[in-house]
Amino acid sequence: MSESSTSTRQQYTPPPPELGPGQTSHTSITEKITSIVLTPHTPYQWFIVVLIGLMLVGLLQVSIAYLLYEGIGIWGLNVPVGWGFAIIHFVWWIGIGHAGTLISAILLLFRQKWRTSINRSAEAMTIFAVMCAGMFPLIHTGRPWLAAYWLFPYPNSMAVWPQFRSPLIWDVFAVSTYFTVSLVFWFLGMVPDLASFRDRAKHRVTRVIYGVLAMGWRGSAVHWERYEMTSLMLAGLATPLVLSVHSVISLDFSVSILPGWHTTIFPPYFVAGAIYAGFAMVLLLLIPIRRLYGLQDFITLRHLENMGKVMLTAGLIVAYGYFMEQFIAWYSASVYEGFMMQNRMFGDYGSFYWALILCNIAIPQFLWSKRVRRNTVWLMFISFVISVGMWLERFVIVITSLHADFMPSSWDMFYPTFWDWATYAGTIGFFLFAFFLFVRGMPVIAAHEIRTLLPFGKKEK
Amino acid sequence: MSETESDTYGLMAEFETPEELLEAAKLAYGKGYRTMDAYSPLPIHGLAAAIGFHRTNLPILTFILALTGAIVGYGMQYWIQVIDFPVNIGGRPLHSGPMFIPVTFELTILFAAVGTFVGLWIRNGLPMPYHPVFNVAGFERASQDRFFLCIESADPLFDAEGTRSFLGGLNPVEVSTVDQ
Amino acid sequence: MNEELIRQSEALAPQLDSSRKKAFVCGLLFAALTVVGYFIDHGQFFQSYLLAFIYWMSLSLGCLLLLMIHHLAGGRWGFAIRRILEAGTRTLALMLVLGVPILLGIHELYEWSHEDVVAADEILQKKAVFLNSTSFVIRYFVYFLVWFILAFLLNKWTAAQDATSETSPTRRMQILSGPGTVLFVLVTTFAAIDWIMSLEPHWFSTIYAAIYIIGQLLLTWAFAILVGVRLSRHLPLSALLTNERLRDLGTFMLAFVMLWAYTSFSQFIIIWSGNLPEEITWYYARLQGGWQHVGYLLVAFHFALPLVLLVSSRLKARIPILTAIAAGMMIMRLVDLFWITAPAFDKTGLTLHWMDLVIPIAMGGIWLSVFYGQLKKRSLVPLNDPRFDFAALADEVDAHG
Repeated sequence: MSESSTSTRQQYTPPPPELGPGQTSHTSITEKITSIVLTPHTPYQWFIVVLIGLMLVGLLQVSIAYLLYEGIGIWGLNVPVGWGFAIIHFVWWIGIGHAGTLISAILLLFRQKWRTSINRSAEAMTIFAVMCAGMFPLIHTGRPWLAAYWLFPYPNSMAVWPQFRSPLIWDVFAVSTYFTVSLVFWFLGMVPDLASFRDRAKHRVTRVIYGVLAMGWRGSAVHWERYEMTSLMLAGLATPLVLSVHSVISLDFSVSILPGWHTTIFPPYFVAGAIYAGFAMVLLLLIPIRRLYGLQDFITLRHLENMGKVMLTAGLIVAYGYFMEQFIAWYSASVYEGFMMQNRMFGDYGSFYWALILCNIAIPQFLWSKRVRRNTVWLMFISFVISVGMWLERFVIVITSLHADFMPSSWDMFYPTFWDWATYAGTIGFFLFAFFLFVRGMPVIAAHEIRTLLPFGKKEK
Repeated sequence: MSETESDTYGLMAEFETPEELLEAAKLAYGKGYRTMDAYSPLPIHGLAAAIGFHRTNLPILTFILALTGAIVGYGMQYWIQVIDFPVNIGGRPLHSGPMFIPVTFELTILFAAVGTFVGLWIRNGLPMPYHPVFNVAGFERASQDRFFLCIESADPLFDAEGTRSFLGGLNPVEVSTVDQ
Repeated sequence: MNEELIRQSEALAPQLDSSRKKAFVCGLLFAALTVVGYFIDHGQFFQSYLLAFIYWMSLSLGCLLLLMIHHLAGGRWGFAIRRILEAGTRTLALMLVLGVPILLGIHELYEWSHEDVVAADEILQKKAVFLNSTSFVIRYFVYFLVWFILAFLLNKWTAAQDATSETSPTRRMQILSGPGTVLFVLVTTFAAIDWIMSLEPHWFSTIYAAIYIIGQLLLTWAFAILVGVRLSRHLPLSALLTNERLRDLGTFMLAFVMLWAYTSFSQFIIIWSGNLPEEITWYYARLQGGWQHVGYLLVAFHFALPLVLLVSSRLKARIPILTAIAAGMMIMRLVDLFWITAPAFDKTGLTLHWMDLVIPIAMGGIWLSVFYGQLKKRSLVPLNDPRFDFAALADEVDAHG
């Protein structure tokens, strides 16, 4: 090996630490994490976000009220595009939720320590994203209070049951299971930290509230042992669950025979897309919060860089999915498959397709560069682009396949209305509002897991 | 003597580091104490084993619940689609095995996850509104940055004087009496 | 430290060499039977030969992909089995030669290679740009060129790292592995389409190549466990491949058992429920005439049993059980590939020819003899890797007694 030619760029450098230099003791960790919540001081930026969120929640309420009064005719749905914004946004939100479970469950199983400071907020994101997602299928029924008997199997006066051979029923089970398990996992993780809050709270009311939530947790060694085992088992259960949820959603499309929907790569490719969008949203939320609350010691460059790597990987799998769809559409030599691809790329919605390629495949390739992965501005930009890209992906899949299917006589365009957009914007508002409330009132970082990052049991050298 | 003992839940030693607590727990167990518990703000590997707790049987519960969920899930669909209300949809067989898998899977996970979660709190005896250890001054740091070992008065070897001097010899920050 | 590791590795060389000889003799014996088979039944010979080729090919390729994943992801498991994976990638030259009979038997295997068939088939005419004998052969060599370059560079740099305390070779391996993985997946996708999917040239599935690649990795985990368990009994690997680490390998194998089941079931449910004539034929051939029983066998022993056994951390911590599962997995991978390829030739019903067993064993013997020959050439643990401090590990082991 020629020593002189090896520049420093070529040398191996260890990754940045998982815990910044400012955090050296159990005391400092506890103080820093509880101080975000147990303080009368609230940063003004928090009020701005919550206010915007609340205004959009108002818009959401108006949209839903009008929808219930008038019916789903207020949306742009019609023949042939009978599935429009509601399903696009359902899939978009559910996908965003997936990063939370991935970080908390899969990375726990793989013993990746860098998950500890981001898992809590990512799980919270999952909960709120699934709530937003769940709204769309509920309200798209037009009369949600009448819809219960075709969603859940309970003995009803008409003696009919849901149709279990339909993937839409699988959705009901998958999403409600996902929501329940995520909620349980999220709460489980918070209990020891809520106990810290209880023990540090100065005001009587806050002490009682956190005391009730902490359920009398006292950190007993035997409790910890069972607690750790339960976390591990919930992680083991949540991992296949998270794969199954977006797979089931992909089956909504792929068990049909519509070109562009009916293709076997859909389940894994939807899951990869979900992780892609989810990590993008985690970065979009955490980079500003990290700065706002001075959490650089917990959410270090290591975390940001690793999330960038996960995004890049997920994005490449998504790209592989696009590529296989393209290639097999040609290889199948089927008229319908061929036309679908041609229409997607050069038809009425062609510009959407190329924008999607730009957002989801071209721009994220910058993540190959370490400089980009360690630069918060770049990461914010790419994450935003990916969020848009994943929206475009669902738009292209849903709309282009429906608007021009087997019968040219029924081809037509889809035009979203004001209420379509208003409902979507409203869910974004709800998401921001709920997430910032969580940041203000709950342990946003898993303090008890961060404590395990401190050196313990290492021999003195 | 007997009167004070019934008022006392046990004796509590406070330590500064997890290493000291682990060491103390091992010594106490070696000395013959069995009814005791250790308290810490983070899970410490090997601490439960050090005070004589070896295996939790929660995994067995999870397995049984998962199995139940699977049977309930598949059975429900079979009963509804084949026996109670058979409907021919697109010529698919009434008993469409592959189409029943997703819901069966989801219910397997749901039963196992929720059941394990509930089982954890039942086994841990939580929520519990009152517990004597909280009477100790400074115990609020057990959820923050201090480590505690409590030898309970229910232990046959417990004796207010002897146990106190034993704990005192472990280099604690403080030894305090835990009131009932 | 390094000298000691090299010395310990060298002490094992006679053992590995005797394995090499045994494998070689076994391979030679079965190869003789294979030659007899060729003269008895021409058509069947090529069918069984293809099965053997894609099976052992998937192990060579699995080693290469896993090696690159290790360079990207790190993790102690990777250092423990890295030399096994590297030796596995050095069998690619052998596989290039062993694949030549497939090229010679192209007309025996692939319907689309007959011009008269294509002339009478509108769909095959549309695909002829891609599916024709010339481009099939050219692509065969292109695939191997890509795999070769990746394997060559990784093996060259790992040897360089053994010899120097500079860290640049490791950095190079890391840099190569990212784009290398992308390139690998693309190339291997087309190899799977060419060699296996095009056996039924009308049929298509977008997830098909992904299932094959996941199968490669699953086979590789099983193989790494089998060789790893054997090496873990002696220094130097005994310090690194502890029972705990072997259990981790079992967990990875579990993950891929589940991934295999997930992708296979995805393909099945989508095609089954769509029930389109151009797609369902594939499953139609495989779910009757006795083939369905092979399918049930796969569900039971390629998925359900390993899942139940590997999910329990207590069972998989027991080395004999882990070894048995890994050995079973190696067999079930062959059964899976048999179920995928064989019904393409014979649509009348389940038939198992003796060559379906003999040729995979013959090729396996030769593959293993090359593998062991390569394995003994280098230290059994990678030296001087900046991401992994073997000296500290040895101290840790000493401390635990």
